[in-house]
Amino acid sequence: MRRKIGKLGKFCLYNDGYVECEEKIEKSAYTPAYGSFDFVYGPSAGGLMESVRLDIITFGEYIRDVIVNPYYKSRTIKIKGKEINDALLYIERINAPFTASHTIAFLMAIEKALGIEVPYELLLDRIAEIELERIRNNLLVIERLTEAAGFQVPMSSLLWLVEKVNRIIGKYFGHRYFFGVNYYGGINVEEGKIKDLEIIEKEFNELFNSLIESRIFIDRLQGNGIIKNEDSIGPAARAANLEYDARNEEIGLPYKDLGFKISTYDSADAFGRFIVRGKEIFESLNMLSRINLKKIEYTNRLAEGKAVGRVESPSGDLAYYVEVNNKGKISEIYLLSPSSINIRLFSKSMVKNIFTDLPFNWESFGIWISEIGVKFE
Amino acid sequence: MSWFLKGIKRGIRTEKFPKEKPLEVAPWSTKIEGEGNVNCPTNAIEDNKWAQEKCVFCRRCFPSYKPTGDVNIFKVEKRNPTFRKSFYIYPIDVGTCGGCNLELKLLTSPQYDMSRFGIFFTNTPRHADALLVMGIMTEGMREALMRAYEAMPEPKLIILLGACAISGGLLGLPPEIKGDVRIAGCPPNPYTILKALVETKGD
Repeated sequence: MRRKIGKLGKFCLYNDGYVECEEKIEKSAYTPAYGSFDFVYGPSAGGLMESVRLDIITFGEYIRDVIVNPYYKSRTIKIKGKEINDALLYIERINAPFTASHTIAFLMAIEKALGIEVPYELLLDRIAEIELERIRNNLLVIERLTEAAGFQVPMSSLLWLVEKVNRIIGKYFGHRYFFGVNYYGGINVEEGKIKDLEIIEKEFNELFNSLIESRIFIDRLQGNGIIKNEDSIGPAARAANLEYDARNEEIGLPYKDLGFKISTYDSADAFGRFIVRGKEIFESLNMLSRINLKKIEYTNRLAEGKAVGRVESPSGDLAYYVEVNNKGKISEIYLLSPSSINIRLFSKSMVKNIFTDLPFNWESFGIWISEIGVKFE
Repeated sequence: MSWFLKGIKRGIRTEKFPKEKPLEVAPWSTKIEGEGNVNCPTNAIEDNKWAQEKCVFCRRCFPSYKPTGDVNIFKVEKRNPTFRKSFYIYPIDVGTCGGCNLELKLLTSPQYDMSRFGIFFTNTPRHADALLVMGIMTEGMREALMRAYEAMPEPKLIILLGACAISGGLLGLPPEIKGDVRIAGCPPNPYTILKALVETKGD
């Protein structure tokens, strides 16, 4: 089945290609109602990880609409005219928690555009990066959910695990957020099997099962933020039983060789997104146990071309369209970030919920504002 | 089993840093040493000298320069012993990539547990002893930054976290606010942040 993923600059990206298309601006269906008021939260507030403004139209409990403005901290990134490896320094800093996904999607676009065959072992290294990133992010999302519920013990235990994963990444890749790891021509990595993954699995298994059994925790998630939409991506789609996953579709990375299985659930709510993320942590650990990290290089070359690179980031499809000129410099670049799609899904799913549902629903999408407000020059 | 008993069963997981050496530090978040002129994108290395506040730890200088594992890459110009027992920080993101935000949050993880030093986050600048600024200066956050600063009671400290807030790093210009404390890194390691905060509160 052909599915539309989203807007990638002047193109519409599908799971099997991209075509030029017009921008369709979705207008909010909200109309002012007697007694409703605008509750403004942000852009700078303690409960938020990043700067973002939420306009919550409410009667005091029931939510009629939520308008999210992620552009307060918009950054202009000067990337056009830069050489590939120089451009990578900037790509890394679009969204640090998803750096592996960003840099690998960007490099895959470059390599496809220039017709470079990437060694198989390097592709496995890249899978290891993305899956470690997914584990960290999913742990953080679940931690944020427990934080919203005021559950101190699982919150602390999950943060312990997030830090543990960061240290594993730092040990094998030299940097906790994969900065300076990927480059056009190779990878900086410590060779060998990744150790200490069993500790993550054992601890998380215990926590996950305890959380599922906790009625007062799951009551806050079940029925909260229901969204079953063909435009969904990532855990939001898979929680609605839609088997959308670039790891299944994109032939650029050999996920199928590692026995990858898609994780789904059928409730389409914040609980479903929590379950999918939890199951994905086990799936990622399973794949990582089959990978032996190796430092591999390939011969790069100067040529011109254009292509799209796409990966399944922890929050869904992430893609770059890149054009390179014959001097090896970036002449055009577009980004489709998962957060830009998830923010729309969040707003839609929030209508008709109640005020106290908001933090749980917001966290369940795993949105990073930094990757939305980016303008390339 | 109740959550309380589960917590007890796990035991104490807090490390003894800064009394003892840090554990498992990612090399490319620590002090860099070496010699020679290299192609540094932020001019952090010039005339054989490394300027920690400009460094984005991109490894372009490797192998002429190598990380040492030393996490002491911060500068405390003003400290205040008034905050020794309780030090409340209001973090503000004026244009980050999310890295500083996450590393700062990890100070609440059991490994670091900043609350044992009497360091806490506050949700409002009205209750804050220090304003912690992260990211490059973006137009949309300029007013929010100034309003947060003005809302804070005296005495107050300004902490600049990460290369973007101190020097603009790779992506832009830093906020127009003078820092009493400057914590280098891209993003700074939680060990570095924790030690800088402990020194800032006058311990």
